[in-house]
Amino acid sequence: MLEYRAYDEIERYLNGKMASEEKAAFEALLHHDARLTEQVEEHRQLLHTMKKYGQRQQLRQQLNSIHSQMVATEPLAASPNGWKIFWGKHRQTMAVAASVSLLSVFGTLWSVQQLKAPVRQQTAHYVELRREVERLKKTQTAIINGINDASKPATPRPAAFSGTGFAISSDGYLVTSSHVVEGADSIMVENKAGLKYKVSEVYRDEIHDLSILKVTEDNFEGFGKLPYTFKVSESDLGERVFTLGYPREDIVFGEGSLSSSTGFEGDTTSYQISIPLNPGNSGGPLLDDKGNLIGVISGKQAGQEGAAFAIKSAYLLQLIDELPGAGKVDPLTLPKNNTLSTQTRPQQLKKLKEYVFVVKVYN
Amino acid sequence: MKKSLYETDEAIIEGIRRSDERALAHLYKLYFPMISHFILSNSGTDDEAKDIYQEGVIVFYEKIKDNSLELSCQIKTYLYSVCRRLWLKRLAEKGRFATKLDDSESFIPVDEETQHHEEQERQFGVMGDALAQLGEPCRSLIEDYYIRTQSMQDITAKFGYTNTDTAKNQKYKCLQRLKKIFFTTYKPEV
Repeated sequence: MLEYRAYDEIERYLNGKMASEEKAAFEALLHHDARLTEQVEEHRQLLHTMKKYGQRQQLRQQLNSIHSQMVATEPLAASPNGWKIFWGKHRQTMAVAASVSLLSVFGTLWSVQQLKAPVRQQTAHYVELRREVERLKKTQTAIINGINDASKPATPRPAAFSGTGFAISSDGYLVTSSHVVEGADSIMVENKAGLKYKVSEVYRDEIHDLSILKVTEDNFEGFGKLPYTFKVSESDLGERVFTLGYPREDIVFGEGSLSSSTGFEGDTTSYQISIPLNPGNSGGPLLDDKGNLIGVISGKQAGQEGAAFAIKSAYLLQLIDELPGAGKVDPLTLPKNNTLSTQTRPQQLKKLKEYVFVVKVYN
Repeated sequence: MKKSLYETDEAIIEGIRRSDERALAHLYKLYFPMISHFILSNSGTDDEAKDIYQEGVIVFYEKIKDNSLELSCQIKTYLYSVCRRLWLKRLAEKGRFATKLDDSESFIPVDEETQHHEEQERQFGVMGDALAQLGEPCRSLIEDYYIRTQSMQDITAKFGYTNTDTAKNQKYKCLQRLKKIFFTTYKPEV
């Protein structure tokens, strides 16, 4: 047990107050006694820390008094208002919050717009059934080429568009939709039997979407006697109707009924018919059960099933009547006898398909 | 206030060495606005600015007193660097990430100084706690003798001991306790 006298000695030693002989004796003692050395070291550290602590406290007090003196002399020195501090503290948080809210506002607006878009598309939209051959060809040949590159046939340039047309008189006049032959350089027609004629447009009625074509080849000998006649009066609702057309390379038969006596958006010049139609059907003949021609296929309503439209034959006849008046052609001799009326549908079609042509448009 | 006396850095340092209180006061007032602005514009408050600035000044002051400062730049830059470092630490402790400090001054690396300072702070914190734990009259006795370096006679009179021996004995017991408390909590960092 160390006496407080020992402490006293240690302190005196540390403070350098020992006489030289005493100091030497103490150091000799330190040299032998490790425990004492440790004690002295600890004591030294304690006193040192305490002293420093005291100094530090004093310095702090001094600085505080300087500070309060400074604040007292210039109270407006540097104290930004509460808002500035608040802003400084929460600037980042606020920036994040603001950007999140902006993002959500515009995100919501945008997505609402996106949701609206399909709704807008549902409003009526008319589609003309002209077939863009080029595009289909491209996708198809791409597949074929992949399979067999070597057997690529050296075909002539394919038509850009195609539609359907049919004969209206035996001496070489045909009709088709005017949107089919729009912007055409040259037009070719070809029927199921493989008969090909070069034709040109002789008359066009954009309002009713009809065009009259005429075979321009010199050695043309006529189509022969047409088996159908044109109906002047309007057909009744529910009448069974059919059409022939070229929505693809081969002729396609489509059947349905007359579902409305007005067309797209109440257009009185056309019928609505329930025949499934595709691009390429445009300009095809619409016939009733008896084989009377009652209209010309023109288009359908986009996104709506079974709503196709055909121009009424009355307007076709009106157009044919106008032809001589336009001073371009002689009056047409329309067919007078209907030879289809008593026949079954396959027989009717067998005859008809001779007079239904694919109209190929080059430009 | 004779400002002209401390116009240069050297004059201020000389003043502090001479323990001239006016030198310290002048220095303190000179750079407080700069640090205050720095802290306030980096999400701090007035009180925090005062705190950090005083720490910085203490570091500087003690270095000067120790003669251990080799100042390779202006006092202004040195103070700014120390305060900046201390504030960064404070921010990290508060869990706020200062990815980018808004610096208005150039600064130098002062890791060593701040580390030493922090170690000291820790030590003094423990010492303060130990003294507080000691209770009266031990605390006053110890403080009077060791910190305020009063003589044993004065202390004997002040505390009403019969003679200096009793006072010394009392002081010895108190110191013994203080030592125990201090060294149980404080372990110097390896």
